[in-house]
Amino acid sequence: MRVWAIIVKFWFDTKRDMFRLFDVFWWPAFNLFVWGLLSTYLTQLSKGSVNFVLLFLAGTIFWSFFDRASRDISRSMVEELWSRNLPNLFSTPLTLTEYLAGVLTVAFVKLVIGSIFLLVLSKIFYGFEISLLGWPVIGIMAGLMIFGWSVSFFIQSFVLRYGHTVEVFIWAVTVLLQPFSCVFYPLSALPVWAQWVARAFPSMYLFEQMRAIISGTPVRSGDIMISMALNAVYLILSVIFFYRTFRYAKSNGLLTKPY
Amino acid sequence: MDKIVLSTRGLTKTFGGFTAVDHISFSLKEGEVLGILGPNGAGKTTTLFMLLDLITPTSGDLTMFGMRYAQDREKILQRVNFASAYMDMVPRMTIMENLLIMAMLYQVKNPRQVIIVWAQSMGIESILGQEYQKLSAGQKTRAQMCKAFLSSPEILLLDEPTASLDPDISVTVRKHILDAKNRGVSVIITSHNMAEVEEICDRVLFINHGKIVAEDTPEGLAQKVRKARVQLMMTDGQKRTIAYAKRAGFPVTANGRFVTIDVDEDDIAYLLAGLADKGVQYGQITIDKPTLEDYFIAESRRNI
Repeated sequence: MRVWAIIVKFWFDTKRDMFRLFDVFWWPAFNLFVWGLLSTYLTQLSKGSVNFVLLFLAGTIFWSFFDRASRDISRSMVEELWSRNLPNLFSTPLTLTEYLAGVLTVAFVKLVIGSIFLLVLSKIFYGFEISLLGWPVIGIMAGLMIFGWSVSFFIQSFVLRYGHTVEVFIWAVTVLLQPFSCVFYPLSALPVWAQWVARAFPSMYLFEQMRAIISGTPVRSGDIMISMALNAVYLILSVIFFYRTFRYAKSNGLLTKPY
Repeated sequence: MDKIVLSTRGLTKTFGGFTAVDHISFSLKEGEVLGILGPNGAGKTTTLFMLLDLITPTSGDLTMFGMRYAQDREKILQRVNFASAYMDMVPRMTIMENLLIMAMLYQVKNPRQVIIVWAQSMGIESILGQEYQKLSAGQKTRAQMCKAFLSSPEILLLDEPTASLDPDISVTVRKHILDAKNRGVSVIITSHNMAEVEEICDRVLFINHGKIVAEDTPEGLAQKVRKARVQLMMTDGQKRTIAYAKRAGFPVTANGRFVTIDVDEDDIAYLLAGLADKGVQYGQITIDKPTLEDYFIAESRRNI
């Protein structure tokens, strides 16, 4: 019931805000068109020897999984702080776990809706069929979503701890992580030092696998295992960090102070 | 024996080197209305937030219904609710939507009907469909009061519930608080409206610099102020009256034919006898006894 209350709350809030629909539909579609047009042009330049459409569109769609998963959850906490609603919520029997369960459910549903929309658009405009990539794409999508959640837990913790001064990271983190995630190019394209940084992120392994599937080369199970292990570590650490930060916030009166 | 529903012992909250609440101990009985008074920054709101588990105490013990937050947070908060004139709800959502979410969090049965009943009693039924951000300060406070009552709490925590309310709505809110008390609900209220506190509180804690400096009934606290104010409408001997009061060491002011003298209650007879000796004449005399407001001012100034 209390988890459902959080889900209903997000529905009430979303239906009155057209800009949230922009978030779900407009920006991903905008992104898809920009990359779609560029990749079509590049494919024409290469006289069809390389299928840029497949590479770039798959990259764009998969990256949106990470981007949305990370941003939606981080934003939910910031909006509670903006509206000074945290004292109302947490003076009820609602627990932090129930709150997170509600937020994650909403974020997942939005992610699914947004992704279906993108897939339909890419099919209509570029003839891109994600189903051709087979079942492993589900694993890649799940991995990117979980990594997005982990990042969002860290960001929410910092926002709770430091307030609006670190809010910019909600939007900036995807930009900062994208070069190291090798969304549109292989790991080998990065400078050596950056390759070492990239190896710390599960997203890099997942995008390498995506390219392997597209090019028809065998999927490296070792990479998949590493990405899963990294995801598990980040998720556990981020959740622990978030719960500890919430306790810190309660101890230091941060839940009740004006944002 | 009166049932204790809330008890604190040595409750303390420090933020870095600043002690906001300093070893306060008090209890709340079933059906009692307890006022917490004190100047701004005294620690009243921090105390309320600790009672709601929104701020974790640095030390001390807090039990509600015999339970502690560490073990029984959900059970406790299911039986407690609060309202504050300084808290907000989700701005883009309507009052009805905000209250529905709160009702769901408290697992209220038939939430829409309950909300409508409370909205009617608070005079906001016609604006239930309005977005919270478009409401006036008074309407927001009434929405908060609906939120506080809709879960039928056994303990109600109210942080300045009538701030920014029109006098007639304030009367309604006070009536609801007293009705709740009659139903056995225990209430803790902070307020800067001393008349309100005198009207509805059974007992008052006066907090300053995070410490309880006095605890009594509102009348009992007022009586701690020994000053009374004697106002005379002079018909003869105004200058002699003023000179006599000054010589006796009583603060005195004059405004037209009226002379006002501040004296200890015990000295009223001495003052009037002295004025009679001087042969002064007055057509009217008013003696104002000290109120809770006088106590508040005296105590706040003493501890600045």
